[in-house]
Amino acid sequence: MEFFNSHVLSILTFMPLVVAGAIFLVKGDQFARIAALGGSILTFFVSLHVWHYFDASSVKVQFVESYVWMPEFGIRAIFGVDGISLLLVMLTTALTPLVILSLWHSHVAHLRYFLASVMALQTGMLGALVALDLVFFYVFWEAMLIPMYFIIGIWGGARRIYATTKFVLYTVVGSLLMLAAAIVLYISYYRQTGMYSTSILDLYNATIDPRTQLWLFGCFALAFAIKVPMWPFHTWLPDAHVEAPTAGSVILAGVLLKMGTYGFLRFSIPMFPVAVKSFAPVLVFLGVVGIIYGALTAWVQKDAKKLVAYSSVSHLGFVVVGSLALLADGTLSPEALTGALYQMINHGVSTGALFFLVGVIYERRHTRMLEDFGGLASVMPWFSVMLIVATLGSVGLPGTGGFVGEFLILLGTFQSSPLTALLAGSGVLLGAIYMLTLCRKILFGPVKHDENKALRDLTPMEFAYLLPLAILVIVMGVFPDFFLGKSKASIEHLAKNYRSYSLAVDAH
Amino acid sequence: MFSFPEITSSFYMTAAPILVLVTGAMITLLQSVSRRFGSRPAIEFVMWVTMVAAIAAAAVIPGEQVGHLAGGLLSGTMSRFAQLLILAIAAFVMLMVRDHHTGPAFFRGELSSIFLMILSGMLMMVASDDLVSLFVGLELASIGLYVVIGYLQPNRRSQEGAIKYFILGSVAAAILLFGFALLYASCGTMRLSGIVANLPSVASHGWARLGALMTLVGLGFKLALVPFHMWAPDAYESAPTAITAFMATTVKVMILVMALRLFAGSFSTMAEVWYPALVVLAVLSMIVGNIMALVQSSLKRMLAYSSIAHSGYMAVAVCALSSAGSGLPVRAILFYLLSYVLVSLGAFGVVMALETPDNDQLTIDDLSGLAKKSPWIAFAMTVFMFSFAGMPPTAGFIGKFFVFNAALSNHLYGLVLIGVIGSSISLFYYLRLVVRMYMSEPVAPFGAVRAVVPGISLTNALLAFAVLGTLLLGTALPGVAMERLVRTSADVVARK
Repeated sequence: MEFFNSHVLSILTFMPLVVAGAIFLVKGDQFARIAALGGSILTFFVSLHVWHYFDASSVKVQFVESYVWMPEFGIRAIFGVDGISLLLVMLTTALTPLVILSLWHSHVAHLRYFLASVMALQTGMLGALVALDLVFFYVFWEAMLIPMYFIIGIWGGARRIYATTKFVLYTVVGSLLMLAAAIVLYISYYRQTGMYSTSILDLYNATIDPRTQLWLFGCFALAFAIKVPMWPFHTWLPDAHVEAPTAGSVILAGVLLKMGTYGFLRFSIPMFPVAVKSFAPVLVFLGVVGIIYGALTAWVQKDAKKLVAYSSVSHLGFVVVGSLALLADGTLSPEALTGALYQMINHGVSTGALFFLVGVIYERRHTRMLEDFGGLASVMPWFSVMLIVATLGSVGLPGTGGFVGEFLILLGTFQSSPLTALLAGSGVLLGAIYMLTLCRKILFGPVKHDENKALRDLTPMEFAYLLPLAILVIVMGVFPDFFLGKSKASIEHLAKNYRSYSLAVDAH
Repeated sequence: MFSFPEITSSFYMTAAPILVLVTGAMITLLQSVSRRFGSRPAIEFVMWVTMVAAIAAAAVIPGEQVGHLAGGLLSGTMSRFAQLLILAIAAFVMLMVRDHHTGPAFFRGELSSIFLMILSGMLMMVASDDLVSLFVGLELASIGLYVVIGYLQPNRRSQEGAIKYFILGSVAAAILLFGFALLYASCGTMRLSGIVANLPSVASHGWARLGALMTLVGLGFKLALVPFHMWAPDAYESAPTAITAFMATTVKVMILVMALRLFAGSFSTMAEVWYPALVVLAVLSMIVGNIMALVQSSLKRMLAYSSIAHSGYMAVAVCALSSAGSGLPVRAILFYLLSYVLVSLGAFGVVMALETPDNDQLTIDDLSGLAKKSPWIAFAMTVFMFSFAGMPPTAGFIGKFFVFNAALSNHLYGLVLIGVIGSSISLFYYLRLVVRMYMSEPVAPFGAVRAVVPGISLTNALLAFAVLGTLLLGTALPGVAMERLVRTSADVVARK
């Protein structure tokens, strides 16, 4: 128990990898299913432990572990969570078991390799979230790509190879520049202090001259903007989503994209505060363009999955706008920042559910075209309930988590710039239009196609992985404090003090 | 004044591995004319005894922290590191060749003898402090390589490659020798240590500058830096794959060690002469190497161009030697070298494992659907490709990190930017191979490539070693490896 308590984050991070290794080595799909599900649920419980014992009143990073890796160069493996990463960790650990469940009855070839990839991917995602060392963050950030590359490339649709190559190339171009910028940061810290360190807790304290900050911010922001993805770097996303298998899409939209926005909160903003002032208008502009462009493009899509993919561009535009709402006194709006974080979780839940639901009808009809459906409300009532709940969460109806997130973002943004808030607010409206169009075309009207008349409603297994998400959509709307309570202190610390940001380590 | 170095007992200690190899070469040469002792097992036995003895000599007789002169040879840690690395590569290649269809041809008296000669030349060169012995070692290795390329599998194609390599290599050698002669003329000594001492006073002299530049060109040829790379794709493609693997790795070790000795030592006083030239070579190599690799259909040609690009990355770190604080670049080069050697041996090992006597010129298409036929080999190749591309968690990432680190420490922002662009391009063709293996259906007729069954075999063991090494150097061991390299690099830096 002593060991568990002092290594809880490394256990959390590497347990999925160990499970992936076991699945890789042991033949047989049944073992793979059980191991993956067991492993991911166990990981979830470990994360619950972290959640439970996390001290919400403190802005310190907690559960910190530090291991020497390359002492010569000051590179250590440091793991820790604060209120910002904690929520995303929970999102990751909660989504993965559901993804595994969705694969339970799947007939894909080499199922166990698929499950092993999902588990390995989870290690990558958790590692990137808990790593407090630049090099380790980068390692996990890049390592995340490899399983996703195979998930899309092996189990994807017809143009999977194009899509997966594009996905990897886009991401890598951005991240290589980030690597170069990270090294520059590391060197300038060395020049100042005479010590090598890649710990971001140390690097927060480095004073970098404003010109260099601009360059470094640009390099980091490019990597994150591609990952988010922000307009105009978004073109890999629709391809990747359309070609990815359902489980891949859910992870991609649910967690992977958030790595970009998380990167802004963890690195770009607190490390290069001077550059924030110059870059914020640009990024907010791109965010607003993304909101409107994504929404308009989603509106005209005929493919349900593509529609949901473009809606992600729009929703993540909100997150970016909310992360960079500069107030008159130079601080960031805490409301908008809270909303941005909440919207990340929300988007993970509701868009994850939407991708699952598109997968459900695709599995039955092998088409995702909206015109091939219609009137499913009478044939698949439970499916319809789930789709409506997910849609409402996505458009931000009061009473769902989406409302809380979008409302807070708009509230904070309005204080920063009313025009931005107005333009971004039009995205909410457009969101309602395209999402309700999706609902209408799939669910309502007469059943136009004979094939749709005998469609089977949700199976118990589909129910099992959709119900938790549907409940979450509602619960997050009704009890936002339960989720945001743990992050409040950290968010306010970032919003108020990002210009002289530092994170203390909690010596537990 | 030129005087013959005094031969002392310390010379014999230092030269022991080289002397062992030469003795072995003589014995195998004599064996080849003997009917009684000239059988393959007998020759192989002698070769292995020689190798083990040489490795033992290099490992046991300690290298000293700072090399001292022992009859023109340096006994420093740097020499020992390079010698052991070259011997380890040779042992790896010899083991791979045992399982390969060229195995019987390889373990013949005359070829074994030449192979050991090449090794002795390489070992001599990396430990040499004297321009003459340095050149002799280099040529001993090169001439042996020309022969082996054409002789192991005598057919038109490999002979053509050998001739091409021979002609271009000879030109390079001539230029290098001319450079050495000019350096000697301007510094009045053949000793590198003497040149270090004298060069600052003649650094502005035209002959000395021309000498440095010609030396750089000679090294660029051997390292296959663009625009001196023409020979590499042909030679790599036409040589038997075992020799390609051997050549691609050992030549880089040899030349980079020499470059370190020169550029971290003697030449740093005239950085303004060679630095711009080297920057051009590095940039061209990274761009041309990566772009040409994109359009190759032959697997070995693709690896050849990729190796040109990797030479470019290493040249970036050599550029970083031009300014103060050369400890970082030296370590970066050594680590990059280590990871490059390991991964190259692995990748060429995969090629060897898949070759059949009928199809020894694999194309990228031949690898289609490999994951279904030989999952283990496909996995190994994937690890190597990701490492070449510099993706974590492999050795290639750590290597790239340190090269970028060294370059950025010395404000070489432009070079790093080109490196970033080059790496992004390279990812495309490395991933294409992975796509073929995992995501495509087989297009090649059945039996075009050897089916490698998982299980205990020499090939599998060697590839497993390379895979494990690549992953461990990227995750658990870089700290340990770096610590060793820091000690190794002390030898180079101390000469400054």
